[in-house]
Amino acid sequence: MTTPIGTAQLIKDMKDAATGILNKDVTTLRGFSERQITAIAQQSELVALGIASGQITEETREFFLDSIEDMALNFAKTLRGLLMVTIEKVWNALVGVTKSGATSAALQSHHFWWPVSLDVMRRRLS
Amino acid sequence: MNYLSVRNTRLAFVAFIAVFLSACATTLAPNYDKAIVDGLVSVNQKMMEHFASTSSGASKSDYDKREKTYNCIIGSIDALAIQAKARPIPKNKITEKVNEYLRSRGVEVLEGEDAPSATALEKISETITKMRETDKKQGVTAFEVKAFKGQAVIYLDQAMTYESFLER
Repeated sequence: MTTPIGTAQLIKDMKDAATGILNKDVTTLRGFSERQITAIAQQSELVALGIASGQITEETREFFLDSIEDMALNFAKTLRGLLMVTIEKVWNALVGVTKSGATSAALQSHHFWWPVSLDVMRRRLS
Repeated sequence: MNYLSVRNTRLAFVAFIAVFLSACATTLAPNYDKAIVDGLVSVNQKMMEHFASTSSGASKSDYDKREKTYNCIIGSIDALAIQAKARPIPKNKITEKVNEYLRSRGVEVLEGEDAPSATALEKISETITKMRETDKKQGVTAFEVKAFKGQAVIYLDQAMTYESFLER
């Protein structure tokens, strides 16, 4: 006996939905991470050079040094925020696929079709 | 009549499945706001113009000429930070589970915090404010302008990437 819901097809659809989102989002996340890591490293180098050469003055020295840690922390928080958006998208896509699979399986298993049902109702009422 | 009532039961069953699964959809991040993204693009342009005009350094003797630009940029950024903070971060069971897991691993959680873009905007505001204060007090060297710009660009990238990513 075949199951009313095509399990293999459902798994494939769920994988496709998740993979599509992950491939797109991982590219964005990787690009963002690489940009940020490179920029924070360059900023650290710039501040070190500026302090050593005296071109970063006493007035701004502590500010720039403290900021490097803050930038790295907010980078990590941004990355986590982006991951939450990706988790949300994957979760909702999986729910969407399951919903559509379950609904169509329920309709098929009961041979339910609106025009037939309306026709039956019409005949019964007449 | 029995046939009709069986059909109605089936219809109710299908409707129940659809409603149940729809209820499983979740929101884990704030809503996308196009006005914030447009504001970020606009403030980015103002900042880059200002950094370009001071790239050779600036003397405190002509600080007055730049004061209005500083104030305009800081005001725009602060307004955007307020807009970004005004959106609550959704709370639900999935977020709580993720936070529980993170806490068990000794990782700081997002709970009760603002969106990372709001924090980034506040940091950009602090950066430009520090540049303004330094400029007013003693002027800024070309090297300091480069460092202020580098810092602002890093935070701006964080804010723009996060806000654009919310469009889903």
